[in-house]
Formats: sequence, structure tokens, C-alpha cells
Amino acid sequence: MTPADHQRAAGSRPAAEGPELRSWGPLLALIVVSLGFGLAKPGFATVQNLWTIADRSAIPLILAVGTTFIILQGSIDLSIEGVMAVGSLTFAMCVLNSRTGLDLGVFGLVLASFAGAGLGLLSGLVITRLRVPSFMVTLGVWSAGTGIAMLLSGDQPPLIRDPMLRALGLGRSIAVPNLFLVAVAVVLLGYVLQSYTRFGRYSMMIGGGEDLARLLGLPVDRYKVLAFAFAGLLSGLGGALESARVGLGHVDVGAGQMFATITAVVIGGTSLGGGRGGVLQSAVGTLVLAVLTDGMIFVGVSPYAQKAVEGGLILLAVLVATWPLRSRLRIVK
Amino acid sequence: MKRVMFRPAAMTTLVAVIVVAGAPAAAAQPLCDKSEIRLVNSMREIAQPYHANLDKGGRWFAAWAGIKHYVLQLNQGDSDKQISLMRLLVATNARCTVFNVEPNADLVIKPMVDVANQSGAWIVTHWAHNEGLHPFDGNDHWIAHVAVDSMEAGVAISRLLVDAMGRKGGVVALQGRLDTDPARKRFAGFQQVLRDTPGVKLLDQQTANWDRTAAFPVMQTWLAKYGSQINGVWAANDDMALGALEALRAAGLAGKIPVVGVDGIPEAIAAVEKGEMISTVSSDAFYQGSIGLAMGTCILTGQTPLPATLSKEEREFYLKLVVITHDNAAQYLREPEPSAYAADWQCDKLWSRSTGKAF
Amino acid sequence: MTEPVLRVEGLSKSFAAVRALDDVSLDVRSREVVGLIGENGAGKSTLLKVLAGVLRADRGRVIVHGAPVSPANVAAAAACGIGIVFQEQALLPNVTVAENILLGHEGRALRTGFYDWRTLYALAATQLEKLGAEISPSALTATLSFAERQLVEIARALAIEERTRREPIILLDEPTSMLDVNGIETVLGQIERLRRRASVVFVSHRLDEVLRVADRIWVMVNGRCIAMRERAMCDIADLERLMLGRELDAGCQQQAPSSTHGPKVRLSVRELGRRNSYRGVSFDLHAGEVLGIAELAGSGGESLCRALFGAERADVGEIILDGRPVRLREPAEAVGHGIGYVPAERRLEGVVGGLGVRQNMTLAHLDELRRGPFIDVVGELRLVKNWIDRLRIRTPTAETPANSLSGGNQQKVVLAKWLIGRKLKVLILDHPTRGLDIGAKAEMFALIHKLARDGLGVLLVADTVDEVIALSHSIIVMKDGVVSGRFPASAAKPSRLQVLERML
Repeated sequence: MTPADHQRAAGSRPAAEGPELRSWGPLLALIVVSLGFGLAKPGFATVQNLWTIADRSAIPLILAVGTTFIILQGSIDLSIEGVMAVGSLTFAMCVLNSRTGLDLGVFGLVLASFAGAGLGLLSGLVITRLRVPSFMVTLGVWSAGTGIAMLLSGDQPPLIRDPMLRALGLGRSIAVPNLFLVAVAVVLLGYVLQSYTRFGRYSMMIGGGEDLARLLGLPVDRYKVLAFAFAGLLSGLGGALESARVGLGHVDVGAGQMFATITAVVIGGTSLGGGRGGVLQSAVGTLVLAVLTDGMIFVGVSPYAQKAVEGGLILLAVLVATWPLRSRLRIVK
Repeated sequence: MKRVMFRPAAMTTLVAVIVVAGAPAAAAQPLCDKSEIRLVNSMREIAQPYHANLDKGGRWFAAWAGIKHYVLQLNQGDSDKQISLMRLLVATNARCTVFNVEPNADLVIKPMVDVANQSGAWIVTHWAHNEGLHPFDGNDHWIAHVAVDSMEAGVAISRLLVDAMGRKGGVVALQGRLDTDPARKRFAGFQQVLRDTPGVKLLDQQTANWDRTAAFPVMQTWLAKYGSQINGVWAANDDMALGALEALRAAGLAGKIPVVGVDGIPEAIAAVEKGEMISTVSSDAFYQGSIGLAMGTCILTGQTPLPATLSKEEREFYLKLVVITHDNAAQYLREPEPSAYAADWQCDKLWSRSTGKAF
Repeated sequence: MTEPVLRVEGLSKSFAAVRALDDVSLDVRSREVVGLIGENGAGKSTLLKVLAGVLRADRGRVIVHGAPVSPANVAAAAACGIGIVFQEQALLPNVTVAENILLGHEGRALRTGFYDWRTLYALAATQLEKLGAEISPSALTATLSFAERQLVEIARALAIEERTRREPIILLDEPTSMLDVNGIETVLGQIERLRRRASVVFVSHRLDEVLRVADRIWVMVNGRCIAMRERAMCDIADLERLMLGRELDAGCQQQAPSSTHGPKVRLSVRELGRRNSYRGVSFDLHAGEVLGIAELAGSGGESLCRALFGAERADVGEIILDGRPVRLREPAEAVGHGIGYVPAERRLEGVVGGLGVRQNMTLAHLDELRRGPFIDVVGELRLVKNWIDRLRIRTPTAETPANSLSGGNQQKVVLAKWLIGRKLKVLILDHPTRGLDIGAKAEMFALIHKLARDGLGVLLVADTVDEVIALSHSIIVMKDGVVSGRFPASAAKPSRLQVLERML
């Protein structure tokens, strides 16, 4: 047996078609947490609550898909909430509403997505052309987006009156919340993009070694811009869908989502350093977070203590997710 | 014969008595020309209807009074920013500037009052209350504190809620930001009513931070957890109430379970009119956004005496609240005309909505 | 004579004040293997990088198949028909082998923006088959061994063949320096196969290897191409002379250390074992002894060394230092006991690249240089200069960043770092001469002998069997994780064959 065979036997497992769930930690965390709450409170493990969790996780899932690609590349996107705000207002003002005379129906979703994509494109271009770190650029776009939304909202936020779109936001199709169906579709789309397109694979490569990728001739900048535009599109869509649910265009529609999304992505096992993880992993992380929040209400954790408990549970989940990847000589930043 | 001499001391005392007795009635000198006066509304943000109406009220007053300079200061929930925005503005023309303030948090009031005292600017505050801090304790530039009896508001809506529930059943409560005075006081009012209504049980309470999008998933979870045990929904403000309402709507329960809130935003009033909400309470945002500016303007134009000479009750008072129910919702549905407030802005009517000394 | 497929004319490149390439001219003919040799810093890597599009030359021309080219990046060079296998591996670690091989030219496998994984794997398999490599195209690159990754790099370079109608030019930058006996044979075999379909430029320090496969050999010294020899017309001595400007004392390589060592046992290992690596390893290391471990890569020797340094933990067994059993939970403890370790991958684990030479050397010994709360700067500098001289480290200044030194000099810095401390009892050397040129290697040999003479116990895992035999007093042979043979210190050294027998 040659040494090469030794190594192969010991180390290299051929990957499945396309990427796989590299570590089972997050999935395990999801199962453990779900079981835990289910045992603590029997009412938790009912179909109705299942759909409640599904509904609660719908928008975060959509956001997580976009954020995943950016984080895979080794960048970060802090502008989610601002872009959601723009998407929300754009959508609310384009469909049947209390302020403008427009009634564009589903096309409103398209416009909101485009608005979001536009902001994402702006982020991407500033990052790649002007070489400003993504952290700073997206912070700025967050502010700008919020400002634009405030201008659009004016003194009277537009109330959404289109019944079909409200039904999209609130209703169910054969018991499954509509928004969750949309989220599943987006997650699947994300998975296909990640595993079967240049965009996905090159994003992975950029995260694995941007300098090396550039050296090898990869058009790194192009794919970075694409990732930000895509994330912006999904943020805009997310803001619009959330508005369909609550019934108005709302500047604060994305409050708290940025932190929640990044947390979900990390819990899922996608490394903030880039090059490892994926859409499915982020989806698992999002679900863990949704189960956590829902479960805490079920179990009756006092609202005064919830933030602390949430933080502690997140820490635990991250530990479980990343434990198998430790190695003694690895540096922790 | 003994001659009665007019002793200087007596003379002075006599004059003083006359002056003091007559002071409230006498007009003081104008401190600023109308063209110099600058009106400022300082609040958290403008996206919510309550705040939007605060701003509108202020603008209406400025237009009505013929004052050109109106400034809106938004701090986005950042207390430090609220204070520093004020400091920025008093760098110029402080003595003719009037601040009408919705404090972001309780602890913002003292620093802002200090800025007013030091710079000579004028300030009227609303809502939050600092224990032991009063306008009449030598804070001569702090014209007044317009308190809202949040506890009273909480009690009012809670009574209507339990009545709508037939005084029995389960209720869930959505609290506001737990570190704010209105949140605590309103909930305290709710708890008081609960104590008096043994048939009603509080199933659960969560905070949704005044926000509609946060209230929605919480309500959803409660529906899953408690199901038909929920007979009523209590919310510390209208935005959260409306968020809960949408969750009820998704479950087909809108209008079937009573919901209450506070603020009196147009959407909530419409919901009350429709029967989807039972009640809301309004302190009248348009009024709140303008009355402080009116007070300041009256003082600066000399039509109202200086704060130091006003009574304690005028310096710190409770604002009359309007409880909106199905019976009177219709009349509050439409946005009022600016002229509806002209009467309140008259310098001799500034305290017409006071219900007495606060605290 | 047919037109050469590659011609370099008057190529010059400078980095700040340093002339890396100085008017270099050479040519490569069709289906020819050309060896490129020279000391570290002679410019070989730079030349290859210019050819491969990584660097731009300041002056000169590169002509491929008769047409001048000046590629702006690796992909452009590939389009011209030039492929390179870097010395430091340039594979993207977190994607599959197939993606690495076919990056940028996936062809049919990437239609309308969608990956056809099956086709991609098949195309990659074709490339790997050309090399006879048994690597799965769907494997994640990071899971491959160094040798396997090397093959993937070659396959990637060779994949150029599919794109150009003419034969590609493959540049190999020190492909064998990190490999063991088996790996080297594989690569040399590959080169023979490559010759059938491409032209190859082969850079190596091992003159014997170059002489085995190259048709012609170009010699570089100080950025200039000073000579060309036909294979039949030269031997190692000639080449050394050309490279170094002097003859290397042939005896130096074979010089035996003093064949005796003291009786004092410095380090004793009893029944040491670690799951999936090695088991039942026992030996004694005496003061003044060089104990060599001969093994094939993956037989447990490297893991053993790391355990003796506290970088890994053994599962069972004892380590006894100067008569006292010790537990080495982490490197800091080992250092405290006086054990030093010069790692195989010095770039990763030896020098802190951005720091200067001086700082690297004294990093582990700041305690000893302290005077109160301050560091005795003057004393430090004196010490550092002392060692720079003793080890003949070629560096412009003591502050020069370590990663700008050549490999051999970096290695010396790492060594100095350990020797500077006063407490060193045992020194573990993991492939100390890897990547060093002849001159540097000779110096390292001499150093190791000297260390032993000074009373240190030296544990050595060497690059080649010859080195192990030449350097060590006693040898243990490891195979599949167990000790398969021992050659205790004696006047008679084992033969190459004897050692190899027990390794395989």
C-alpha cells in the first residue's frame, strides 16, 4: 500500500454530488432543542405550533439565503434592515394602498426586489471598485436605506389594502403558511445556485482564498457584486413580504433581523471567515433560532430574562456546531 | 400730634405687594421678536403615526402663529443623540428657541433641562418623569412638564377590556419597552384592574418593544400555546395591538377577541370603529406636539408670564386623556383640522386640558 | 533544428533594489524536459512566475510557439499554453479536485451557467488518468495528502492540453522537494509521461533527479542564466561547480559524525502510542547522539515527533526526560523542559513571516533577555548578530522580515531560535533540509553534527534515506506505525538497501 493510499483511507471521503452538510452539529442542535422544548411543554409539539414556527422562520430563511452567499465569500452584509425598509415601502406604495393610487399587485413584489437589488448592487460596486471593506459599506447602506424608507413613509405609512397580497402574507395553502412556501422555494433556489452554478462555486472559491482565486484568473469582483446584489434582492423581497403580513409599509419592518440573520448563519455552521458552509446549513441555523424563540415563550421564560437566555442558548448552539472543527493548534480570532 | 412717616421699608413692601398681586395679570415684556422665535420638536422618530402627528401638530402651530422657523429633531432611539442635538441648536439664538420634547428615556430629562437653564433656551417636556426633579425647583427655563397619567390610561383600557370579556377568561399582555415609564405604568394599571377582577387570568406576558412586527410572531405563538384559552389581548400601545390583530386575522379571529391599545393612532381608531379593537386612549398627539411650542411662544411674546411666576400646578400637570371606544370612534376617525386647536393655543387657554397637578 | 516552443530573450525583473532576473535568455524545444537549477535566490522561481503570468517582467520577451506573449495572469498564461505547478501549492482547498483541475475551462461540464457534475468529474478523471493518479475527482481538495495535491496540480497544468492545439509547456517549480521516496518516483515518472505530450521545465535542488529526467539543463546564478549543458555532457560535480562557483566537498555529505556518544540518556520513550498513527514505540536518545527516524510519509514518524513536543498527545506510553517522566500537554511545557522542535512546514509553523529576523530568533526567549521589566535591547542585538554569523544566515539586516529570506536562511533562523536558549536538551528536527539547495544543505549537515558534539540529543526525521544514514548515529525504521528495524550506533553504518528493506 502506498502512503497515498494510507492518506486516502484515513482522510479523504469523496463528497456527495455537490456540497454536503459538513458537520452534523447544527442539525443535532436543532433536534435536541426541538425535543427539549417538546418534552418540557407538550403543547409545543403540535402541528399548529409547527406551522407557527414555520411562519416565524419564513422571512429569516429568505434573508439567510442571501446573507449566506456573502459570508461564504468572506464578506459581511450589515445592511439587511435598511434594504428591507426600502423594499417594504416600495412594495406598500406600489400595491393597492391608502396613500398612492397604484395597484400593481404581485408586480409590487418584483419592484421591491429590484429596489433591494439596486441597493445591493451599490454596496457591491463600492466594495469592489473603491476597495472599501464590506463592513463599512453595508453599514452606510443600512443608514441610507432607512433614510430613503423614512422619506417614502413620510408622515403616514401606507396601509396595504390589496386582499390577495394580504392573503399571501397571512394565509395558508393546505395548512402550510404561504410565506413559508415562498421561503422554501427561495432556499431551494439558493441551494441550486450554490451547488450547480458558477455563482455558487466561485463564491465558495473566493471564500477559500480570494488572492489565490484572483491569481487563478477568477473574476472575483464580478461575483462579489453579484452576491451583494442577490442578497439585496432577497432583503427587499423579505421586507415586502413582511409588509404583506403586517399590512403596512414600515420603516422598522426589519428591526433586529441583521443580528438574527448573522447569528443564524453562524449557528448553521457557515464560517464567518468564508469558504465553508452553505444555504442548507444556514436554513438549519435559522430554524434553530426560530425554535428557540418560540420555545422560550412556550416554556414561559420571563421576558425580562429572555434576552439573556437567548444569548446563552445561542452560545451553546455555536459551541455544539463548531466543536468537531477545533484543533489544538488552530488560532481563534 | 404724632406724625406718621412713610417709612421706606413699608413703602417698598407696599409696592412689592402691589406688584406681586398684579403680576399674573400684567403682561410681561416680549423677550423676542416673532421673527426670531425658533420652534423645535424633539422626538424619537417619525415613522410611527403617533410621532408623525406630533410633528404635524407642531407645524400647524407654527403656521397658525406665523412663525417661520420650525425644526424637527429625530434621535432614532439614541438618548445621547437627543441631548447632543439640543446642544447643537442652542449654540445659536438660544434665548428665542423653544424645545418641545418627547424624551427617549427617563434619564434624558435632567441633562436637557440643564442645557436649557445654562443656555437660556426654553423647554417643555412630555411623558417621562424623573423622581425628585421638578420644573418649579428653580428650573426657570423649564416651562412645564406635561405628564400623561400612563397608569390612568392603563386602567381605562383594561377596564374596558375585562368588561368586553364578560369579566372572565384568559388574557395575554404585550408590553412596551420595559425600561420606559409609560410601559411600566400602563402595565401597572392593567395589573390593578386584574386584581379587582378575579375572574380574569393573565395567561402570559411578553415584551414586543412597541413594535408591530415583533408583536405578530409573539401573538402567533400564544395562539398555538393557549388556543381558545385566550379571550382578550392587552397591548401597551396601538402598534403592538395592530400587530396582534393581524395575527388574529391570520387565524380567522379578528373581531372575535377583544383587543386594546394606547396612542390613538388613526389605524387603531379605524379598528375600534370597525369593532376589531375595543378601545384605545389618545393624549392627542397633535396637541402634544404643539402645546409646548405654544407655551414657549406665549412667554417669548410676553403674553404669558415667566415660568418662575407660574403655579406648581401649571408647571407640572396631567394631560386630559381621551378614551376612544366604539361609541365615539367615528368622530375621531378623520384627521382634525388645524383650526380645531386654535382655541387650545390661545395664550390664556394653554392649560385648558390640564386635569390637575401631576405626581 | 526546429523552432523552440518557448524562447526567453533578455528577461529582466527587479524588486526594489534586488535584481531577481538579469537579462535571462533560454529556450525549450518541443517534447523536451529542461532542468533549471540554481541556488536559492538565483531567480528560478521568479523566472517561472514571469512565464506563468504571475509577475510582469520589466524588460525582455517571451515567445511561445513563435508568437510573443505577455500573460497578465495564470488563466491568460494557460490560454497561451503555459501551465505552472507552484512550489507552494495553489489549489483552492474547499472545492473538489475536479473544480480545481478544470477551473476556468470547464467546457461542456458548465453549460448555460449550470454545472454538470457527472461530466465535470469525468473530464477531470481523464486528466488524472493521464498521470495514472488514483484520486477521486469528487474528493474535497483539502482532504488530500500533499503528494496527492501535487498530482492534482500537475493534472491541472496538463489540462491545458485540451485547450490548445499545440503541445503545452508545463513549468514545475520544485515538485519533489516536499515528497518522500515514493512521491519522488511518482513525479519523475509523471515527467516522463508528460514528455510525450508536452515540454517541461523542471526546477529542482536535487541534481540527481534533474540529471535523471532532463534532456538539457540550464544553470542560473544570481539572476542570470550562465550556462546550458546537455545531459550526456555533465555530471553532478560539474553542475555543482557551475551553481556554486566552487566544488562542494564531496566528503561533506558522507561525513560521519563522531561515532560515539555519551552514555547519558537524555530522552527515553516507552511504549508510546497514538490511535491511527503509531504504537509501541520505544527508544533511548543519548546526549550527543543523533537518532534518525527512517520512514515513508505517513508511517507515524511526524506524529511521533509532534507528540514529543507536546503539539499532539499520545494515547498511551511514557516519555522520560533526564530520568524523570514528563507529561507534555502543550508545546510550552516541552519548551520549558528544554525540548525544541524545528517543524517540517517552516512557513506554517516555524517563522513568523512578518516579523524580522531578530524578533523571530528571540521570540521564545524574551525571558532570558529581560532586565527587570525591560528587554536588554543591546544584549539582544549582540546575541542575534552572533548567531547570524555562526549559522551564516544571509540576510540584509537583523530586522529584515523573515518571509523575505530564502528557504534555507529561514530554516537557519528557526534553528537559531532554538539554539539561542540556554536550556536546550533535546532538539527534534522534522525534515530539516527540505527545500534547501546544495550549499545550504551542506551547512545544515555540519550544524547538526556540531549540535550533537555539543551534547544535545537530536532526533531527526530526514528527507531521504541517504541523509538519514549520513547524519545519524543510530537509526530506527518505522513502517505502518511500528518500529520495524533498529540500527544502533556503531562504527559500521547500514547500507541504503538495508534501511529501505525495513521501510517498505
